[in-house]
Amino acid sequence: MTEAAEPASPTDTRLRDLRPTDAPVQILGRVVTVERREYTNTADGRRRTFLSGLLSDGTATVRFTWWEPPAEGVDRGTVLRAVNAQVREFRGRPEVSFGYRTRVAPASELELPPVDGDDIPLRKIRELGASDEGFRIEGRVVRISPRTVTVGTEQRAIYEGLLADRSGSIAFTSWSDFALQAGQTVRIAGGYVRMFRNRPQLNLDERSVVARIEGADLPQPAEVLSTPPRPIAEIEEAGGGESIALEGVILGLLPPSGLVYRCPTCKRAVAGGICPTHGAVQGVADLRGRFVVDDGSGSATVNAAREGTEMLWGVSLEGALARLRDAPDPTLLEEQLFEATFGTHVRVRGRASKDDFGLTVYPESIERVTIEVPTRARELAARLGS
Amino acid sequence: MALRETAWRETVAEILAALQEERGTGERAATYLLSPYGSRMSRVLIAGTLSPPESIGRDPAQPFWRSRLTDPTGTVAVTAGGFQPRAMAQLRAITTPQPALVAGKVHLYRGNDGTGYVSIRAEALRPLDEGQLRVALLDELSQSLDRLELVERLLKEPMVPDANLRAEGIGAAGLRAAREAIRRYPAIDRSAFRTTLKLLLPAIEGRAPSPSAAPGIPATVRVTRVEAPAHRRREAPSASERANESAFLDVMDELADGSMDGYADYRELRQRLAERGLSEEAAETILARLQDDGVVEEPIMGRLRRASALTDG
Repeated sequence: MTEAAEPASPTDTRLRDLRPTDAPVQILGRVVTVERREYTNTADGRRRTFLSGLLSDGTATVRFTWWEPPAEGVDRGTVLRAVNAQVREFRGRPEVSFGYRTRVAPASELELPPVDGDDIPLRKIRELGASDEGFRIEGRVVRISPRTVTVGTEQRAIYEGLLADRSGSIAFTSWSDFALQAGQTVRIAGGYVRMFRNRPQLNLDERSVVARIEGADLPQPAEVLSTPPRPIAEIEEAGGGESIALEGVILGLLPPSGLVYRCPTCKRAVAGGICPTHGAVQGVADLRGRFVVDDGSGSATVNAAREGTEMLWGVSLEGALARLRDAPDPTLLEEQLFEATFGTHVRVRGRASKDDFGLTVYPESIERVTIEVPTRARELAARLGS
Repeated sequence: MALRETAWRETVAEILAALQEERGTGERAATYLLSPYGSRMSRVLIAGTLSPPESIGRDPAQPFWRSRLTDPTGTVAVTAGGFQPRAMAQLRAITTPQPALVAGKVHLYRGNDGTGYVSIRAEALRPLDEGQLRVALLDELSQSLDRLELVERLLKEPMVPDANLRAEGIGAAGLRAAREAIRRYPAIDRSAFRTTLKLLLPAIEGRAPSPSAAPGIPATVRVTRVEAPAHRRREAPSASERANESAFLDVMDELADGSMDGYADYRELRQRLAERGLSEEAAETILARLQDDGVVEEPIMGRLRRASALTDG
């Protein structure tokens, strides 16, 4: 009798273990996304529907295609078991398709493999990359803060923060409240990684499991947030970082810099009085500086907000607006900003990401650096020899 | 999209010692100047005493200015033209010799006799006070010494794998430049380089007045094309030579039309001609002949135009 409670066959293949094969497989997974699509049958020229989307069992996410699906379709979140499914490879990743020989039936959540099982690999934060899932990590919550976002028409509270271990740190977004607090050490399972602004980000939701742990060798929040400056080339090679510091000289200023106008609602820059999301708005004046900071090993674009720009320029937003009234040419302001900052030694801390344009830093702090000339000159004299 | 070129911190001596070029690949590729100290530079950051500029453009519509920048190790020309309006304005604001920081692109012109002339095409510059000059020279010395020590080490241990050096925190760009420096300058005596770098110390420590006493180069470098005897052929050109000549002029006119100052860049011209199968040597021969015949002139090093344009100025 106990046999009846078991799945029809005990051989579900974990999605992580799927390999392209001619043999039909049996899989179990939750529908993460699904859409109804159409194609034209070449034999009779008729339009037919099929379903396409993503299935996840917590160990991996794979694309599925369901030919001749039930008329009522399938809801997101449904757990399905497919027997006799085909596995193919597309662009190096396995995909499953359900054809006329495949039996697809709803299954229970409880049949999904546990996300925090001991067989789930324990990974280092630095190793996490785009679209990873099916891992466990141990880390320290460096910081966390709540935020309200609008998803469709619904307001949701999310928690954003930074998680670190000895290998590195990763930004996270939690869609559920795990009562996390800065300083806590945790083991996390059932999370998944998505790229956000060219950096991996850990996402947690109601299926994730978070456990407090003790005694793990994890860095203190202060250590993570006050790392010493590193060469820009090194940061660039690492693809940026969530909490980096660099030191260099301002050698350039990229547009748009100086006086900009922002949408009062979303703070995005308005062009010609038009906000990309909110239409015609009365732009609010703001200062920004996109500084090119170069340390001799490489260069980075540092996107300074009003505070940092005012500090480096020595001109406030009000001062800039007053100058604009005297000489109504915003490009002149940009030129003055460049002349005032070119050659300045700065130390920048914050988040850095890399893309086709190089390394971009979103600074949490910018400060001028005072170089200890006599001390360093003595060091160099010693290295030069007598 | 090509990434922004890093600004190498350079002493004047190192820039002047750099006489080897490496052309990058791809569209709008940068040309790099390789120094025996271990730099592979396109953009540089230098500091020293900048002299008031003199105008060297002949055409008032195409201004071109040149200053001299002197640090304790030597003097190099700093230029700015209509392509660098910001730098040109900043350069013209220098009315008495004063310490300055200059960011710009290095530019190597090689005369027919093989002599190289390096200049800095300024992108931005600013006057410095004594304290700021000391900081800038310190930065230069520190990074120059890092490079030199790497080259010295690679000469001593040529077999140490790049991976080991990278693991020690040595940057990929510096390592590549150091290896290239050793390959390109196999016979150069590097023992004097430390002595040269030491010249910066008094200025950094504030023991010396601003470095204006260093040996200068003449404000104007007159480039004389010494033609190799093999290139002298005064007999009537053959039909194929005529064809090459007209190809040369076509490409030159095209480049001059496309450039903002009305000059064709000789290096670009040579490259285009090479794409058409015309060797560098053949291009030199044609240029020499066209200059002799008064068809082409080179009022600015490395920049060519039709000689008839002269009469406008």
